[in-house]
Amino acid sequence: MLDLDLSHLNKASLVERWYVELNDYIIDLSWSPNQKQLAAITVEGAVFLIEDHDDEASFKQLGAHNGGGNSVSWIYDGSEFATAGHDGLIKVWDADNGSLIQELSAGDPWVSKATYSPKKGILASAAGKHLKLWNSSRQLVYESSDHASTIADIGWNPDGSGIAVAAYNGITLHVPGRQTQPRKYVWKGSSLALSWSPDSKYIASGEQDSTVHFWYVKSGEDAQMSGFPTKVLELSWDRSGRWLATGGGAVICLWDCAGKGPAGRRPWQYDAHLNKLTQLAFQTHGDRLASTDSDGFLFLWEPLKHNKIIGGVGLKAAASCLRWNREGALAVGQRDGNLVKFASNGN
Amino acid sequence: MSIANSTVPVTVLTGFLGSGKTTLLNRILSENHGKRIAVIENEFGEIGVDNALVIGAEEEIFEMNNGCICCTVRGDLIRILSNLMKRRDKFDHIMIETTGMADPGPVAQTFFMDDELKEALTLDGVVTLVDAKHVSLHLEDSDEVKEQIAFADVILLNKVDLVSSAELDQLEARIHAMNAAAKIYRTRDAAIDMDKVLNLGGFDLDRALEVDPKFLEPEYPFEWSGLFDLKAGDYRLVLKPGPDPAMNLNFRSANGVSESAMRDTVEKAVLVFSDEELFLKAGSSIEPGEQLSQIDLEGDELSYVLHVPTDGAYVLFTEHHPDEFQAYLTDATGDRVEPMLTREYKPDHEHDEEVTSVGISTPGDLDLEKFQDWLRDLLANQGPDIFRMKGVLSFQGAKERYVFQGVHMLFDGRMDRPWREGERSNSLIFIGRNLDREALNAGFNACLT
Repeated sequence: MLDLDLSHLNKASLVERWYVELNDYIIDLSWSPNQKQLAAITVEGAVFLIEDHDDEASFKQLGAHNGGGNSVSWIYDGSEFATAGHDGLIKVWDADNGSLIQELSAGDPWVSKATYSPKKGILASAAGKHLKLWNSSRQLVYESSDHASTIADIGWNPDGSGIAVAAYNGITLHVPGRQTQPRKYVWKGSSLALSWSPDSKYIASGEQDSTVHFWYVKSGEDAQMSGFPTKVLELSWDRSGRWLATGGGAVICLWDCAGKGPAGRRPWQYDAHLNKLTQLAFQTHGDRLASTDSDGFLFLWEPLKHNKIIGGVGLKAAASCLRWNREGALAVGQRDGNLVKFASNGN
Repeated sequence: MSIANSTVPVTVLTGFLGSGKTTLLNRILSENHGKRIAVIENEFGEIGVDNALVIGAEEEIFEMNNGCICCTVRGDLIRILSNLMKRRDKFDHIMIETTGMADPGPVAQTFFMDDELKEALTLDGVVTLVDAKHVSLHLEDSDEVKEQIAFADVILLNKVDLVSSAELDQLEARIHAMNAAAKIYRTRDAAIDMDKVLNLGGFDLDRALEVDPKFLEPEYPFEWSGLFDLKAGDYRLVLKPGPDPAMNLNFRSANGVSESAMRDTVEKAVLVFSDEELFLKAGSSIEPGEQLSQIDLEGDELSYVLHVPTDGAYVLFTEHHPDEFQAYLTDATGDRVEPMLTREYKPDHEHDEEVTSVGISTPGDLDLEKFQDWLRDLLANQGPDIFRMKGVLSFQGAKERYVFQGVHMLFDGRMDRPWREGERSNSLIFIGRNLDREALNAGFNACLT
């Protein structure tokens, strides 16, 4: 059926360890910092805490957001996690006993995202046009509505000093305490997703108009890539910050950002999916790349070595979340509510 | 795959504040028991039904480039609908209620410009509510009202109990002139059968064409014809001054006293009307045949002689309706002669609305390349003024019908079912502002092989 080169296929590269059924589209999923738990939220708003016992898992529902869910994020020390939903709230949950610690009002019914800074306990929330930052005592410490539309995505820079916002008209960078006003990276279009390179040099953004932008954070210059068949929601940097993998169609592109950057360079292409990509994720502590498509195929690559798949699995439904942990295990959240953990071994 | 591979229909409700959108929405929700309906509201009405998910949205209009096309879309709808699609197995229908002042263009364009929505949803129809009592005030000065009417697949003339039937007739004629493809219903408290507003089937041109048998009929250079059964001799055509200083007419013989005999003369008369006219002063004599006569209508009371050489059937074609000049025919003794049959024709320009419909209906096959070039130029130059277009086309060499629809500069077409015996032809309609009927017809006809 598939005309695929399977010469590099390695059965040990994707081994299913367990699965649980959450019974609703898993819209966001995140490993706890100690890699022993997963927090998940579904499109209808149910919040789950999953305990990973290596070859099996247990889970419980902690609560829900009325009207629907959008995101989940762990605090750096793993003591709590926060969820965002369509009820205008950020809910903060205790990771030990699963209790609801606090509800914060995000400023608009549609809370797109709530995410902790990587090194401190600062929580950022995006709701409508409003960005809010909360300190570890969950006091509001910063607020801005300087965005042209409902915020589509937000992302902390790797040292946690600034937060980038994607909305209509491009990217806005807020560095509280160090700016007189937020910095704008202007594009006349609707930015849907953003991703910081691990070296903080670039912010990559995926756009409604089927382009990808590489913003040079310091200079504000912009390298624009077009030719994608559809809007680009899938962006994943490799751990070194040299390579960005992009979706926006069935073909994976890998952009080389070494030296002068991606402008003028042809991307590497990885062509095995027959249908549109739904998720892309580089390992955080390795060089493997996982990709899934709307037909439910999950492929594994070592894209820096060659352009052939090293693993492949047909899932029951397309994946909506791909999350690697530090140990190289892959959690896959699916549209049908199944959550599967794969171990990824072998060389 | 667990997600069904079928699309969810979306209905867009437009209309000014107070036109009855919320009343209609409540009817739709309460009369569709057992169906899960998601409602996206831009304006808070009072919706109180538990089988619906109601989502409030604030209009966010974005400019969007895609290749060489730049248009406006509704970012809020992309976001919300995309989220709804993740739950789509749980919804049977989606309703979008726009604000009274909303331009439906960006809403409709959203469904063309976002691939994800295009795959998962079908724009089932645009339903526009019109407040019969108050709309006349806005028809003059509000672009939004004109656009809401122009974009509609279905128009409800609501609150009919508040206006006279004469006013309603006038209003309906006016709205029809703006959007000839929409179905118009008269309602009170927005009471209407659900199957007239829901599940319209996207663009079903057959449905659009059944609206008005005269719509898409070719346009004629005359407004009236009458078939007379006459004896040999002289007759007098008597007229009074009217709105025009002169009028073209053609008098010709027919092959018997029947509908078909009159119909057979129409094509020939059309040809005659494209000839040079012979100018006649009052009192002149007109012979039956292939001559186009232009009669002078300036004077108090005018008459012209119609000469009938032999007994038989004769047809008189007049540029304007005879009633406009209180015209009648008498025999030699002065007795009135009434026509056995009459027919009225759709004139070239029957209204002077800024927003109009142009229908083209013509047999023949299109040259694909010529048609694409023509349409590309047309949309590039006049896209902003073309609100909607839809049609069924016959391409040379294609066994299937080609169906298309468009919004402003956006165009979406595909091959449909095979043509049935004797069915092949082209019919299409443009609804827009300042459309040039003749240029559109000429441009289209030039694409025929």
